Amino acid sequence: MSHEKKKKRPKLAREGFLGRLHYFIERALLNIRQNVLVNLITVGTISLAFLILSLFLLIYVNLERVTETWSERVQVTVYFDRELTSGEVASFSSKIRAAGGVSGITYVSREEAMRRFAQRLKGQEKLLQDVTPETLPSSLEIRLKRHMREGEAIAGFVARLKSMPGIGEVQYGEEWVKRFSDFMVVVRFAGLLLGGFLVLAVVFIVANTIKLTIYSRKDELELMGLVGATRFFIKVPFLIEGVLQGIVGAGLALLLILGAYSLFLHNADFLLSFSQAAAGLVFLPLSHCAFLLAGGAMLGFLGSLTSLKRFITL
Amino acid sequence: MIELHNVSLSYQHDTPALNNVTLNIAKGDFALITGVSGAGKSTLLKLIYAALRPTSGQVMVDGLNITGIPVSQIPRLRRKIGVVFQDFKLLPGRTVLDNVALTLEVLGWGKNDINRKVYHILKQVGLEHKIKSTPLRLSGGEQQRVAMARALVNDPRIILADEPTGNLDEASKEKVLEILKEANIRGSTVVIATHDRRLMGDWCKRLIVLDKGAIVENTDVS
Ligand SMILES: Nc1ncnc2c1ncn2[C@@H]1O[C@H](COP(=O)(O)OP(=O)(O)OP(=O)(O)O)[C@@H](O)[C@H]1O
Ligand SMILES: [Mg+2]
Repeated sequence: MSHEKKKKRPKLAREGFLGRLHYFIERALLNIRQNVLVNLITVGTISLAFLILSLFLLIYVNLERVTETWSERVQVTVYFDRELTSGEVASFSSKIRAAGGVSGITYVSREEAMRRFAQRLKGQEKLLQDVTPETLPSSLEIRLKRHMREGEAIAGFVARLKSMPGIGEVQYGEEWVKRFSDFMVVVRFAGLLLGGFLVLAVVFIVANTIKLTIYSRKDELELMGLVGATRFFIKVPFLIEGVLQGIVGAGLALLLILGAYSLFLHNADFLLSFSQAAAGLVFLPLSHCAFLLAGGAMLGFLGSLTSLKRFITL
Repeated sequence: MIELHNVSLSYQHDTPALNNVTLNIAKGDFALITGVSGAGKSTLLKLIYAALRPTSGQVMVDGLNITGIPVSQIPRLRRKIGVVFQDFKLLPGRTVLDNVALTLEVLGWGKNDINRKVYHILKQVGLEHKIKSTPLRLSGGEQQRVAMARALVNDPRIILADEPTGNLDEASKEKVLEILKEANIRGSTVVIATHDRRLMGDWCKRLIVLDKGAIVENTDVS
């Protein structure tokens, strides 16, 4: 066919990686504009799913914060029946720090203990008559890092303290720590269960909505293949579309929840007023927001990818 | 250009839709495949653009054995072949321009080149004034010609037209045949499948008659 060799091949306007990418993005946006209704429904459904998930995260994050402030009450006290020299304080402190997980150590001298005692008994000074600093113990108060404040960890820490020469009596609110630890186990388990369930639901909903939007265009997918499009060429605009739907859906959910937060929730201290430090709710940290957006993008991508596999026969 | 050697094809396991078909359509041929409804005409065309694979036998297109062609090679094959589908397969939500442009987009053409070429081919089929319409607002004959434009727009080496004169009036039929004849003169190998034997005219170079999936007549009439 000689005429075909002579025929000049028109310059491909979109060669190179960036050119192709530009074409694909343009195509994806065009597809969205041509299927506005389907896209609105998809994005709406995705954002509803993400709304539920982020609401759950918001609650969980705040619950964690409350328990954080509660757990600050956990502290380990080592008692001594004599006054320590500053050298002894320093050497004990460094030994205790070496046991790990310590966030701070304060030495409470007999004088200081007396002062605190007096303060606590204000108005009932009569009771103090027989008490002199010599009858009170001096002590080292040890504050722990967050991960050390529960059950096993704190028990292990205390055991390590007790094995140190020169340390006799060690006390920590054992009962309270145990109850707190049990409570945290329940909270974490419930959180994990509910969170896992919600994530599954979101994955299912997003994947299926996207499958519907792709199903509604299966004729187009078929035809593209018939006129000689490669699988890659057919897929990419749909993948971009899916990623956009995921990001916009998740973003919309975050915006909605941010709106609700700044309207009502941020000063909802009545909810948690039993704890001063935790008054009011905090919003999701930036890392969580980024995680949700990335999750949306990934779900959109994977949802499109798996659905496309079903409808591209090529 | 198109060769079938002892090709048989069965959908599922019932009677074969094609039964031991052997034929050879040369470069520059204008072939007419006829036969009653259900004779296997569409099936035969689908084998040529690799929408179906033969149950047995070999299919060669443009010097390439496509019998067991890997899926990744199919796009290259299809870019050489313009197909006018029996059911048109136009995208109802897209304009005529977009529908026809698809063939060129797939090839990576730029927008300006595409617009120019699409306008040109639409003028050839007499539909340049409908370039912004959607297929839903076109008559059957006009849709037929849009499908034709989409198949012809990249000057393919092979044109397969499945029932291209389906339910058109005499004048439209003439127009469609005229377009295919011109493409043939410009060098494309043309294959028409139709149940309507009266379509045959002096421009036809080869007549193939199918019956129940078998060739009952294959004559060089040029
Ligand atoms: N997808 C399919 N699955 C099962 N059987 C099919 C399929 N497509 C076609 N057939 C059968 O194969 C045979 C040939 O069909 P084909 O479409 O090739 O006929 P045709 O000659 O094009 O008919 P028409 O003129 O009506 O278009 C018919 O008996 C038909 O029922
Ligand atoms: Mg048919």
